[in-house]
Amino acid sequence: MSGTREDRIMKRVFLSPAIAMLLLFSIFPLFWSLGTSFTDIQRGGSTTLREAQATEDERVGFLGLGFSITGQNYARMSSDSRLFATARNTIFYVFVGVVIQYVIGFSLALALNQPFWGRNIFRVIFLLPMMTTPVAAGYIGRMMFDSVRSPLADLIQSIPGWFGSDAYVTIPWLTTGAWARATIVLIDSWQWIPFMTLLLLAGLQAVPKELYEAAQVDGATIWQSFWRITFPILLPISVTVILIRGLEIFKIIDIIMVTTGGGPGSATESLTMYIFKTALTFGNYAYAAAISYVLLVLVVVFSTIFLSLARGVSARATNVGE
Amino acid sequence: MKRNKTLRMFFTYAVVLLWAFIVLFPFYWLLTTSLKIPLAVSRGPTYFPGIDFTPTFEHWVYLFDEQRASTLRHFRNSLIAATGSTILAVIIGAMAGYGLSRFSYYWKGLKWRNENIAFWIISNRFLPPALFVVPFLILYSRLDLLDTHFGLIVIYTMFNIPFAVWIMRDFFNSLPGDLEESALVDGATRWQAFMRIVLPLSAPGLVAVAIFSFVFSWNEFLYALMLTNFDAITIPVLIAGQNNTRGVEWWFISALTLFAVAPVVLIGLFLERYIASGLLAGAVKG
Repeated sequence: MSGTREDRIMKRVFLSPAIAMLLLFSIFPLFWSLGTSFTDIQRGGSTTLREAQATEDERVGFLGLGFSITGQNYARMSSDSRLFATARNTIFYVFVGVVIQYVIGFSLALALNQPFWGRNIFRVIFLLPMMTTPVAAGYIGRMMFDSVRSPLADLIQSIPGWFGSDAYVTIPWLTTGAWARATIVLIDSWQWIPFMTLLLLAGLQAVPKELYEAAQVDGATIWQSFWRITFPILLPISVTVILIRGLEIFKIIDIIMVTTGGGPGSATESLTMYIFKTALTFGNYAYAAAISYVLLVLVVVFSTIFLSLARGVSARATNVGE
Repeated sequence: MKRNKTLRMFFTYAVVLLWAFIVLFPFYWLLTTSLKIPLAVSRGPTYFPGIDFTPTFEHWVYLFDEQRASTLRHFRNSLIAATGSTILAVIIGAMAGYGLSRFSYYWKGLKWRNENIAFWIISNRFLPPALFVVPFLILYSRLDLLDTHFGLIVIYTMFNIPFAVWIMRDFFNSLPGDLEESALVDGATRWQAFMRIVLPLSAPGLVAVAIFSFVFSWNEFLYALMLTNFDAITIPVLIAGQNNTRGVEWWFISALTLFAVAPVVLIGLFLERYIASGLLAGAVKG
């Protein structure tokens, strides 16, 4: 279909704008960021430049550019406990979030796959949190998980009463580190379970009905037909949605920003938030760039391990199916 | 057998009703909180307007009367950034998607064919945005793009393109090429065939791309926070800022939040089928 001279030109015309945008605003900044991470560049100059201004030396640093090439940003990391804390938090958000969202998302998809009256209305309702602005979801979460004034607190405080006790129970949803991390995962899950549900539901609807009928004839229980039919068939799409959600949670910042601001201390801070603060609050561009590469490495390691695990599981699942 | 079915139905309804409640209750809570006087909010939860508290519209009046200029300005900023990047992403995405679907490319240096190029494009979508914080801060301050609508449009377009290309490529793959072929035979140029025949048939794909781009740009927070400070501040940054300006005024935040999510929630309510199809193209076939 492409052979004419016009087509040889046009095929470049069609693709070029997208490629140009990505080269200019994704690949180029990526390398710039990597370069910056090996310098001492800060907001409004660099450490080298400041020293030079004190000694009135004009052409300083690497090639006289006004900054030095250094590995200190990476050397500094090994003693940066906040980096380890934020990396640990991020990994917690990713793993716990993905598990909760996958399990609940799958259950809801199974429910929505039943024929029942009002199914389409429920499907639309379930979608809504996904459209909500994450910052708004954060505020909503803060209102829902207020330890004293939320409906949830109201419910929890009434529980001891059912057992004739008059104990006063509050849960520090967003005020102690461990609880706050869990609460943030719950808020993120409220928002993103719809994504899992929607895609897994589409996967379920593509499963041929005959398979279940045949299994029923063979006397399989619902439980068995789930593990032998539904789960293996949905495995590829499960891998995709888990990977996408995992990669998305690595970027988490909005919800944390409005719920805890990273606190108490750095107990709920994510890597993205630490990078943001390093660059904007502390003005240390070079170190922020270096940490962002740590995040990239984590993301790549996560995807690689996950995909190879998924390959192993799907190989086993197909064996079971046979 | 019959009993089993009834039980299953009961269970299904229990699950979906419970989840619908979990999804909708927070929105109801926002609405009622926006109708409460400050004292009623701090005194503890009350549930039904007119029954356990007296509703007031003062916060909504405050939002659209006293704060009118500020509210509308931020709304307008969000609208400009989201619409601008949506239009660009739709155009650039449709063109690249069409190219990848109809022509075969081969990049000699990298030995990349269409599949590799498409994969590289979508992989950009999954790079952590934090990687770009530093270069964009430096670049934008050099180019004087900080706090401008244009600056936001450019960066949002960059984030929207991968998904746009992916969805459109999938869409064009499912669109038979016969019609363009006959147009080309009749002497139309490739561009004319694309504009007059292919694009009008691609409305569902274009709508899906537009929705995703718009919603992403509308909701985006990190870059809006980083790259704006007054003139171009968008709605999410405005809401997040309520955290510390005068203490957390839940009644006002509730009204503002409802107002901020209204456009995207309405899109979700009315355009649900496009969202589902777009997500499928983006995630499953990839």
